[in-house]
Amino acid sequence: MIDVKNLYKNFGKVKVLKAVSTQIEKGEKVVIVGPSGSGKSTLLRCMNLLEEPTYGEVWVDGKLITPPDPYLHPDIIVKSKTFNKLKKLRESAGTYLEGEKLVQAIIKEIKDGDLLGKFEGREYKNALKDVYRTYGVPVDRVRARMGMVFQHFNLFNNKNVLQNLIMAPVLLHLQTKEEAEDNAMRLLKRIGLQDKAYVYPSTLSGGQKQRIAIVRALAMNPDYMLFDEPTSALDPEMVGEVLELMKELADDGMTMVIVTHEMGFAREVATRVMFMDDGRITEEGPPEKIFGAPENPRLKEFLSKVL
Amino acid sequence: MVLEGLRATLLIAIFGLLIGLIIGSLLAVFKLLPSRKLFPRILNGFANVYVTLFRGTPMVVQLLIVHFVLFPLIGINIPAEVEGTIAFGLNSGAYICEIMRGGILSVDKGQMEAGRAVGLSYGQTMLRIVIPQAIKNVIPTLGNELIVLIKETSVIGFIAVTDLTRAFQTMASNSYQYIISYLVLAVVYLVLVLIATVIIRFIERRLRAGDRR
Repeated sequence: MIDVKNLYKNFGKVKVLKAVSTQIEKGEKVVIVGPSGSGKSTLLRCMNLLEEPTYGEVWVDGKLITPPDPYLHPDIIVKSKTFNKLKKLRESAGTYLEGEKLVQAIIKEIKDGDLLGKFEGREYKNALKDVYRTYGVPVDRVRARMGMVFQHFNLFNNKNVLQNLIMAPVLLHLQTKEEAEDNAMRLLKRIGLQDKAYVYPSTLSGGQKQRIAIVRALAMNPDYMLFDEPTSALDPEMVGEVLELMKELADDGMTMVIVTHEMGFAREVATRVMFMDDGRITEEGPPEKIFGAPENPRLKEFLSKVL
Repeated sequence: MVLEGLRATLLIAIFGLLIGLIIGSLLAVFKLLPSRKLFPRILNGFANVYVTLFRGTPMVVQLLIVHFVLFPLIGINIPAEVEGTIAFGLNSGAYICEIMRGGILSVDKGQMEAGRAVGLSYGQTMLRIVIPQAIKNVIPTLGNELIVLIKETSVIGFIAVTDLTRAFQTMASNSYQYIISYLVLAVVYLVLVLIATVIIRFIERRLRAGDRR
C-alpha cells in the first residue's frame, strides 16, 4: 500500500500540492486526471520521491520513505523548544485552557503557523531520528519495487535495448546476468520487439520506446507501476499500442497509478479516478461516478472540455 | 634521443589527459551534487578551491612545486616523468572539470530520473548513464584539451625530463644548428597535433554512429 499523508509541495513560492492525502491499495488502478498545473504529475513523482515533498510523509508497505514530518507527530511537537516556550508563555499569561486541552491548542497553533524551526533541541531531534530508525527505509530499495514510466520515455541512450532492461536488476544484484537476460528476452517477446534487443533507443519509434520503457520497469518485477502521462508525447497512431500494453498489465493485477489525459482509458481500466484541481484532490470515486455523475463544478467544467 | 623525447611527450600528454579526465569528472560531479547536506557542500567547496588554485597559477610553477615540494615532502621517490604526468593531470583536471560540468548539464535530466526511478543510486546512474553520454558530448572540447597538453608538455624540461623540446634543445646546442633544429621542432609539434586532430575526429564519428537521429 502506498500511503500519502498530508503532502505539501512548494516550488519556491508556488504551492503545487496542498494537503494531499490518499492511499493506494494493492491491486488498485488509480487514474489521476485534472487540468494542467493541478499537481497530478508532482503527486505521482512524490510517491517515489523523484520530487521531495515540502511537508508530509509517504509510506510504502508500512515503511517511511520521506524524512519524518514533525507536524504529523504531536508527540514529537511536544518535545520541541517552540512548544515549551509557547506553553510557558500561555501559562504565565493565564489561560482558561488546562492540561491536555492547552497542549492540543498549542499543537494546533504550531501546525497552523508552521512555527517549528531548524533548532528545536536535542530531545526533539532524537525523537525524529527514532521515527526514521524504526520505520524509515532507503528510498532506492523502494524505488526498485516501484516501476516508473515517463512522458518522454527516458530510455538510457548509451545502452542498447537489452542493456536497458537488464541493467538495474543486475547492478542491484536482484538477478544474475543470465536470469536477467532470459527475463528481458521474454518481456521483449511479449511486446513483439525481440528483434530490437540489440539496437539503440534512438532508432526506435515513440511507441516502441514507450513499450520498452514499460518492460524496463517490469524487468524489476515491481509491485507498483507509476505512469506519468505515458502517451502524451506519442504520435496519435502509436497511442493505441501503449494503452493496449497497459491494459494487459492491469488485467494481470498490477497495482497502477496513472496520470493521463486518455479519458476513455480511465473509464475502462480505472478502479478509482482521482480529480485534482489547484493542488488538491477535489473529487474521487469509481469511474462511473466521476464520469457519469460528477459533483464538483470544476470537475464538470473539466469533463465538458475533454470529453 | 628524439624518439625518446617523442615517446615522453606523447605518454605524458595522454596519461595526463586520462588522469585529468578522472579528476575532472569527479570534481564536476562534486560541483553538481545536490548541496543541501553538509558532506556534499564540503566536496563542492573542495572542487571550487581546487579549480581556483590550479587555474590561478602557471603550469610551470605547479610542475616545480610537484617536483621540488610535493613529492620530497611525501617522501616518495618516483621518476620525474611520472611526477610530470601527475602534475599535468592535476592541472588539466581543473580545466576538464568545467568541460565535464557543461557536458553533464547537457545530458537530458530524464536520464538521471530514469536511473534513480529503477532503484540505482546517484553514483551508479552518474557513472554508467550520465557521464558516458556527457563524455560523448564533450569529445571535441576534450580533444582540444589533448592538443593543449601535447604542446604544454614542452615545459617539462624544467624538471629535467627529456621530452621533444628538450631533445631538440640538446641537439641544437651540440651541433650549433639552432635554426634548423627549432624549425624542425615546430614542424614535429604541428604534425603531432594534426595526427591528434584526425584521431579525435575518428573517435567522434565512431561514437556518433550509435545515435543517428
